[in-house]
Amino acid sequence: MTGFLELLVAGLNTGLVVGLAALAVTLVFGVARFANATTGDAMSLGAYAAFAGANVTGSLIVGSAIGVAAGALVGAASYLLVFRKLVERSAVTALLASIGIGLFIRAAIGLAFGHQQKTFQLPLVRPWRIFDIRIHPNDLNLALVAALALAVTFFVLHGTPIGRRMRAVADDLSLARVSGIAPARVMIALWLLAGAVTSVAGIMLGIKAVITPEMGWEMLLPAFAAAILGGIGHPVGAVVAGILLGTVQEMSTPFVGFTYKIAISFLVLLLALLLRPQGLFGRVAGAR
Amino acid sequence: MTINRRLLLATMASTALLAGNRASLAQGSGIFRIGAPNCITGAGAAYGTGMQKMLRAGVEAVNAAGGAAGLKFEVSTEDTQTQPQAAVLAVKKLIEVNKVQALLGIWSSGESLATLPLANDADLLFMNTSGAPALSVPPANAKGLSFRFQATNDRFGRAFAEIAEKEGFKRPATMAFNNASGIGNTEGFRKAWEKKGGKVVEAVVYEPNQSSYRSELQKVLAAKPDVIVTGSYIADTTIILREWYQTGDTQKWIIPGWAANSDLIKAIGPQVAEGIISVESVSNEGSNAFKAYDAAYQKAMNAPGLGNAYAAMAWDMVIVLALAIEAAGKADTAAINAKIREIANPPGTAVATFAAGKAALKAGKINYEGASSALDFDQYGDVTPDFSMSAVEKGQIVRKYIVKI
Amino acid sequence: MEAYIIAIAIITAIYVLLALGLNLQYGLTGLINFGHVGFFCVGAYTAALLSKHQISPLVTFPVAALLAALAAWPLGVVSLRLREDYFAIVSLGFSEVVRLVATSERWLTNGVQGISGIPKLMDGLVPRAAEPVAVLALLVAVNLGAILMMRRIASSPFGRVIEAIRDNEEAVKSLGKDPAGFKMKVLMLGAALAGVAGAFYAHYISFISPEQFVPLVTFQIWMAIIMGGVGRVSGALVGTLILMLFLEGSRFLRDIIPFIPDVEMASIRLGVVGVAIVLFTLYRPQGLMGDFTRR
Repeated sequence: MTGFLELLVAGLNTGLVVGLAALAVTLVFGVARFANATTGDAMSLGAYAAFAGANVTGSLIVGSAIGVAAGALVGAASYLLVFRKLVERSAVTALLASIGIGLFIRAAIGLAFGHQQKTFQLPLVRPWRIFDIRIHPNDLNLALVAALALAVTFFVLHGTPIGRRMRAVADDLSLARVSGIAPARVMIALWLLAGAVTSVAGIMLGIKAVITPEMGWEMLLPAFAAAILGGIGHPVGAVVAGILLGTVQEMSTPFVGFTYKIAISFLVLLLALLLRPQGLFGRVAGAR
Repeated sequence: MTINRRLLLATMASTALLAGNRASLAQGSGIFRIGAPNCITGAGAAYGTGMQKMLRAGVEAVNAAGGAAGLKFEVSTEDTQTQPQAAVLAVKKLIEVNKVQALLGIWSSGESLATLPLANDADLLFMNTSGAPALSVPPANAKGLSFRFQATNDRFGRAFAEIAEKEGFKRPATMAFNNASGIGNTEGFRKAWEKKGGKVVEAVVYEPNQSSYRSELQKVLAAKPDVIVTGSYIADTTIILREWYQTGDTQKWIIPGWAANSDLIKAIGPQVAEGIISVESVSNEGSNAFKAYDAAYQKAMNAPGLGNAYAAMAWDMVIVLALAIEAAGKADTAAINAKIREIANPPGTAVATFAAGKAALKAGKINYEGASSALDFDQYGDVTPDFSMSAVEKGQIVRKYIVKI
Repeated sequence: MEAYIIAIAIITAIYVLLALGLNLQYGLTGLINFGHVGFFCVGAYTAALLSKHQISPLVTFPVAALLAALAAWPLGVVSLRLREDYFAIVSLGFSEVVRLVATSERWLTNGVQGISGIPKLMDGLVPRAAEPVAVLALLVAVNLGAILMMRRIASSPFGRVIEAIRDNEEAVKSLGKDPAGFKMKVLMLGAALAGVAGAFYAHYISFISPEQFVPLVTFQIWMAIIMGGVGRVSGALVGTLILMLFLEGSRFLRDIIPFIPDVEMASIRLGVVGVAIVLFTLYRPQGLMGDFTRR
């Protein structure tokens, strides 16, 4: 039983990072209406920027802030330079372009930092034991950061004028336009936010694991799966779905083994699309 | 659109022209051409450049001593990207365009398995540093042209088993990166350990590129091992050790040297790394050949020769080839092949450089003791290097003893 | 020298076959298949395993095509009704699952150790020296066959329905035809072509392992058909040629531009693929040869 609980904790842990990445995906998916495959490599970028910042300033907090800022800027830049021009085209064109941007970012990271792994220097601590289950303080930090990111996103979306406009654009673009909402400013704000969240996800991933140029790309499929599972455009849904996927993945290991557990998110996604295409939290909309 | 098509044709034509020019340059007698399909980019990038530079340095040393059997050496290099498909194209180019007479410095098993057939077809000697057992025997090595300068995965596993026994462990578990090398190491360990009458309490194979290995670790720890033997790489080892430390468990670790190095200690910190046992196939560090290699390596790479065991192997490849050609007296593959074991294996006057060997050959049989190992090739073209057992103490890797298998 | 050119030509012809299959799926029906390498993998492993049991290529090739097509069936069943970008994501997951199966099922595929020693295609049929040319000739013939077949399909009633589906799926539905069935057939056909390409690949490289069948291959083919122009056969040809020129040409680039450090070449190659995809998507979506699909 302890075994299962430990797997649960491991799953929650993995799921939180997936959830953060899915949050970034779902923001863009909901408002800009396409699956942004750059998210993975943008996560790597955020981690590297934070790493460089932490090295230069000697503080992880300041480094992370730099990383988040860098991510926001890259997000806005990708909109201004590429995605804005693809608005009239199909969602797939934007998806393809986002893959191209992702490859470019990965190449740039490889050139700038090399392919050797990097790590954030954090003090390691022994875990707490609660009911014979090991809980690490770092896990709680991760959960806190995820909750914070979610809270900030929520606040922006529901408590600020620009957020209201974002939601209007997400609901119905033409109606929003007609109501006088200028899309450009809204979109820039959206991409800044999504970029920042992406960086946070990347930094948390880098803290948990190691920093390599490929780190974010590996997260992409689970992030997509979680975003779709949670319902496109639903921030809470994305995080919840991420946690769910991570948990199911880890808890399935006694049954499917360590290689196939990776396929679990794909399987869950498939089931979701067949049984409830709008996702856990979404309204009935165009999955079919 | 017309412009684009014209540009296309022009580019293709000029590429072909360039390639053609290289081919004509490759003609000429009195020269022995070596092909070097090295992994400059990709997974083996950390070693490929060093290997290539040492191949060139070895060639320089040979030419400086007057060449072998009156032939001067030339090297043509290509990048294989550590991918089998790209390696095939690289080797094809070397064989067809550069008309090389031997292939040296192929690094990974995937590349070797894909390109050895090409060497067999073209009847060229094939010197590699790969670990896969399949390279020793037919069908891959049907013509006996392959010479392996690195210990097979099996031998690594045996070294792990010797060390585990010597350190008094009784309940080992294994964790293997899911690729040929990782699994090869842990399988080799298991076979050797079971031969000693022991049992492996748990064996886990994990997938690459994951952000966490908690569940894999959990399974291993549940079996309560006193030591965990890995076939792993530095990124996953970092994550696993970090997560292990945070479980509070206290077993020891035996990890291959390419994962348990100073970069690992830097990543996880000296506290976590304390007591980790690092095992490496040791270069023949006491030897004079190693001194010669080290000097060349420092000159070319500005770093100690100890840092790249494969570069030492590359250096040896050139020397061995040159001595064999000198002994054979001509550039014929079969003749050279017949002499390789003669000049590298005992008995014979021990020599450490090409110049010394060339001179000593006039007097009788020689035995080249290489920089990477004593280089005694068995009937499969495999060597049995020694292995070093080092332990991490206060953030430093300290060599404890050598294991001979 | 010629043998090197033939080697490149063989790899190019294999990639053209892959591009033709993808082009069939996307150009004709608008299917965004991001899992094409999965069918390539199925075909390669089928041919490799069967030929190690001394089964003749006359049998193994059709079986490879068949199994690849059958592999497309479950993908089609679950996802053809999805909207296009969801299908894209699911198909990407599909090819990763195929790779995981190849990695895991050691009893079948030898896992990560891969399958080595796959015999040459024309062994025993033609003299050793002529073998590569014979393989190339066969590949060219197969490609031409595929092209002819595609033209036939495009001008047949079946083809007209396909195009109608691409242009206006609702209208086709209202006429009582079921688009999913047609899309499935096209998906399976494209997969079969990829399977045949995989069979050729296995025999040529003589060593296959799961790590050779990664999504990057799919995206390289996508880059080829985007650059060449979708929907047109000549687009697939030109695009693949450019792709091969780029992938092999970067080898010679180091001789022309010596100051690029070797280690960075891989990153540069990756970056150029990315920029090419972005630029073509932005400025020349119809590719070099023109877009047949009016998207």
